[in-house]
Amino acid sequence: MIEHLAASRCPECRLVAAPPARWCPRHPVEMTPTSVMGGGEVVSFTTLLSPPEGFRSPLHIALVDLVGGARLVCHGDKTQGLKIGSWVAIEAVGNIYYFSHLGALDRAKLFWRRAGRAGERMSAIAQSLAKRAWKGRLRGES
Amino acid sequence: MRDVWIAGADMTRVGRLQEPLQDLMAVAAHAALRSADRDRPDSIVVATMNPEEFLGEGNFASNVATHMGFANVPTMRVETATSSGAAAFYAGFAQVASGLADTVVVVGGEKMTHLPTPKVSELIGRSLDPYERSYGTTMPAFAALVTRALMARGATDREMAQVAVKNHANGARNPLAHFREPITLEMVLESRMVADPLRLFHCCPISDGAAAVVLTAERATVRVVGVGQGTDALALRHRESLTSFRATQAAASAAFAMAGFGPERIDMAEIHDAFAPFELISLEDIGLFPAGKAGPATLNGETALDGRLPINPSGGLKARGHPLAATGLAQIVECVWQLTWHVPPRRQVKCNVALAQSIGGPGTNNWVTVLESR
Repeated sequence: MIEHLAASRCPECRLVAAPPARWCPRHPVEMTPTSVMGGGEVVSFTTLLSPPEGFRSPLHIALVDLVGGARLVCHGDKTQGLKIGSWVAIEAVGNIYYFSHLGALDRAKLFWRRAGRAGERMSAIAQSLAKRAWKGRLRGES
Repeated sequence: MRDVWIAGADMTRVGRLQEPLQDLMAVAAHAALRSADRDRPDSIVVATMNPEEFLGEGNFASNVATHMGFANVPTMRVETATSSGAAAFYAGFAQVASGLADTVVVVGGEKMTHLPTPKVSELIGRSLDPYERSYGTTMPAFAALVTRALMARGATDREMAQVAVKNHANGARNPLAHFREPITLEMVLESRMVADPLRLFHCCPISDGAAAVVLTAERATVRVVGVGQGTDALALRHRESLTSFRATQAAASAAFAMAGFGPERIDMAEIHDAFAPFELISLEDIGLFPAGKAGPATLNGETALDGRLPINPSGGLKARGHPLAATGLAQIVECVWQLTWHVPPRRQVKCNVALAQSIGGPGTNNWVTVLESR
């Protein structure tokens, strides 16, 4: 399931920050509250095997570009099979974000939103058939 | 603005040292004063990144000045995380250039080998964005995220490993270096994984040490022709680029603007290779190599001691070592020694113009300094 995350938007440059920031990191302007869909594309990731005091090895960390524009740092249970460009779902637990590989349904929603490119549109259509079977579950989101 | 000259430069050995930090810094500063043939400076600028937490000591400018017998000389401390030494150099430069002082000692040092690695890692990591740090992100984790993105753009394992091999080869010729053993590509590529894809031999060590220079308005052999600072967002997630550091680009263009020439006149450079891929990124950010060419050039030996553009003849952070706030100054000391033929012949590089680049924190407060010999 894809959830929505609290974020903030710069009224000047439209930069979206998650978690929300008071001032835009690029302008001395106060940001306005918004929310973003908790799914996106992996920009980079690592598994830290020498974590700092207070953490256990192996520590999986990813940098993800959300569909709604924000880029964020998150934890995951593994980076095995992960690639730059992989789609992941983000879940917020308290103040901390966690990523997991997207399920077919979640992926369909994301592809649908990006259905501008031919390949992705095909994929989106295929996925949307699956989505129909589950529409009860998905109602009320997006 | 007055011309500023470097009248003296010296540093301690880098490594796991027993002496207290005040001692190391006083030894470096006195040695630099001796090499400048000066008895007493008008001002002392001190650089330490975090003596409060590494050592439990504060008010460190007064601490060092008093310890070295200059309790009555005006002193202050400058801090920009891991580039503090270069920032202190800038503060000293500004004092002399403006006419506020005629002779300034700039001294930087750090001591941290007495603490366990996870503790040091956590303390250095405090220079990252507090929110990103709450994920356990350390400097190696930050560097790993950058490195993976760099590899996606074409940088190879061998190119990055060759940076470490080349810098160890140089360090082997530097009696003050932390590591004096040559290493091979295989050793780098088979070393323990620290933060995937970064391995142990891609990373600089935890070191103790101190370095100092004497700046003066009086003509000497080496002139400071350009100093530039560049900054960027603290949070990695708010950067425009993952594979270049805006802060280095801005620092380089400011330094070259002051110098009145560009990267084409640089004969050698000391680069902040805290992680091997940072050397490749920095060479391109400064404009010493076109985008995507620093890696192949490194593999071809162009940046070796006998190459077209020797990079890190001291051994760099990788082999000379990285005593945080000493590093920016240790780089300048190496440049001065190279420009004045004060290094052992087997490490000597032919040069008239040298450049030092220092990265503060996760590339948020970077410096480029350009020196020319008369």
